[in-house]
Amino acid sequence: MSVLVPKWWSGLTQVLWAASLLLLGASLWMVVRAPVEAQMGVVQKIVYVHVPSAIATLIAFGLTFGASIAYLSTKRWYWDAIAASACELGLVFATIVMVTGPLWARSAWNTWWTWEPRLTTFLILWILYAGYHVVRASLRSSARRTVCSILGIVFFVNLPIVWKSVEWWRGSLHPRNVTMTGEMRETLLLSMAAWLVFLAAAFLTRLRLEWAREAASARGDARVPAAAPGRVSA
Amino acid sequence: MTLLSVALKDLRLHARDARFVATLFLFSTSLVLILSVAFGPIFRDPAREASATLWAALFFAGVLGLTRSLDLEAESGGGDALRLTGADPYSIYLGKTLANVLLLGAVFLLVLPIASVFYDVGNLSVLPAVLGVAALGVIGYAAWGTLFAALARGLKARELLLSVLLFPTLVPLWIGAVKVTHALWADGNIDPVRDWIKVMAVSDVLALALASFLYEPIQEASE
Repeated sequence: MSVLVPKWWSGLTQVLWAASLLLLGASLWMVVRAPVEAQMGVVQKIVYVHVPSAIATLIAFGLTFGASIAYLSTKRWYWDAIAASACELGLVFATIVMVTGPLWARSAWNTWWTWEPRLTTFLILWILYAGYHVVRASLRSSARRTVCSILGIVFFVNLPIVWKSVEWWRGSLHPRNVTMTGEMRETLLLSMAAWLVFLAAAFLTRLRLEWAREAASARGDARVPAAAPGRVSA
Repeated sequence: MTLLSVALKDLRLHARDARFVATLFLFSTSLVLILSVAFGPIFRDPAREASATLWAALFFAGVLGLTRSLDLEAESGGGDALRLTGADPYSIYLGKTLANVLLLGAVFLLVLPIASVFYDVGNLSVLPAVLGVAALGVIGYAAWGTLFAALARGLKARELLLSVLLFPTLVPLWIGAVKVTHALWADGNIDPVRDWIKVMAVSDVLALALASFLYEPIQEASE
């Protein structure tokens, strides 16, 4: 893969951004119009952001895992770039989950936070992936890519634990799955599509930055913070 | 063979540094003292508080042990020498893990009677079971700790980063160890917490399995 960003990349990114903005606008409209849940009231609508963000988090960290394995196997710089970009977005979405969750919990469980399995394991996940970025920022040597790839693999172990925690541990308060019908279901599906397209657009934009950094590094541009030296293949 | 040689080498390095070993034991004892004073003097649930104190002391003191073993190796150039021998990386990892298991096990054996006395908990009939839980906890801690310590070798502020990365990974192990120890000290019935023993065992196996294919790239990264 060349270190030059191909022309179609920008076009695809722009199309995805436009699609995500349209879909987010439409989903916002649907969220406003969706019926208000009888017990929780308007607070229930948080679920239209919370659930898609959680799924986007899992996809992004899953991508980090896959790209980390690929980097260790091939030592190609772009796999590390994919892992880093996905991990950054995963952390953003995980933060959204961490903020929207307590807002929902306050209304549903009458407390902002409780040490139940899903919340606890997700908090651990958040801390671990935040640690990934701290390590990435603190390493400037050629070891950075390898170290971060190993972390991307090790930390992924927590994802199935987060996913299955509500089934494995007794006394979990967190809903196991979201069952909706009619207009509420349609709203949730549209929100999910909108946030996933947003994730794709943001990912390509973030990856382009890594790509540009690699290109600058290959040129020896001193103004750009040096990426770790790695193999740049044609 | 490599495994035992590496473990003996690490233990010999620790044994030569008696001041560090003494500091490690004093540090863990101080942690038990501070926590028991914080919870006491009248304990609401001595079994729960004692088990939390015991494992917290071990986990915090353990980080000292892990970082110190790294420093010793860096100072003596032992890491580079080990790689030059061409020994299998996983055997090196297992040897280092074994040394850390023994070091942490020694800390546990020191802290256990102190916590038992301070909180007035435990009886000899459950001691073998407590030691069994300790074995699961210490093996898991050493397995994850050795992996992360090797990873943190080249980092700035590695002690800080080691804690940041290691402690969240150890949370399932820590919760399991505290819950099972608590059950043993409370009424000796571990049926309600049997799942946590499985969690601890899975955590141990996972660390050892991941290290089998990750320790080599970690070694390469630190070259």
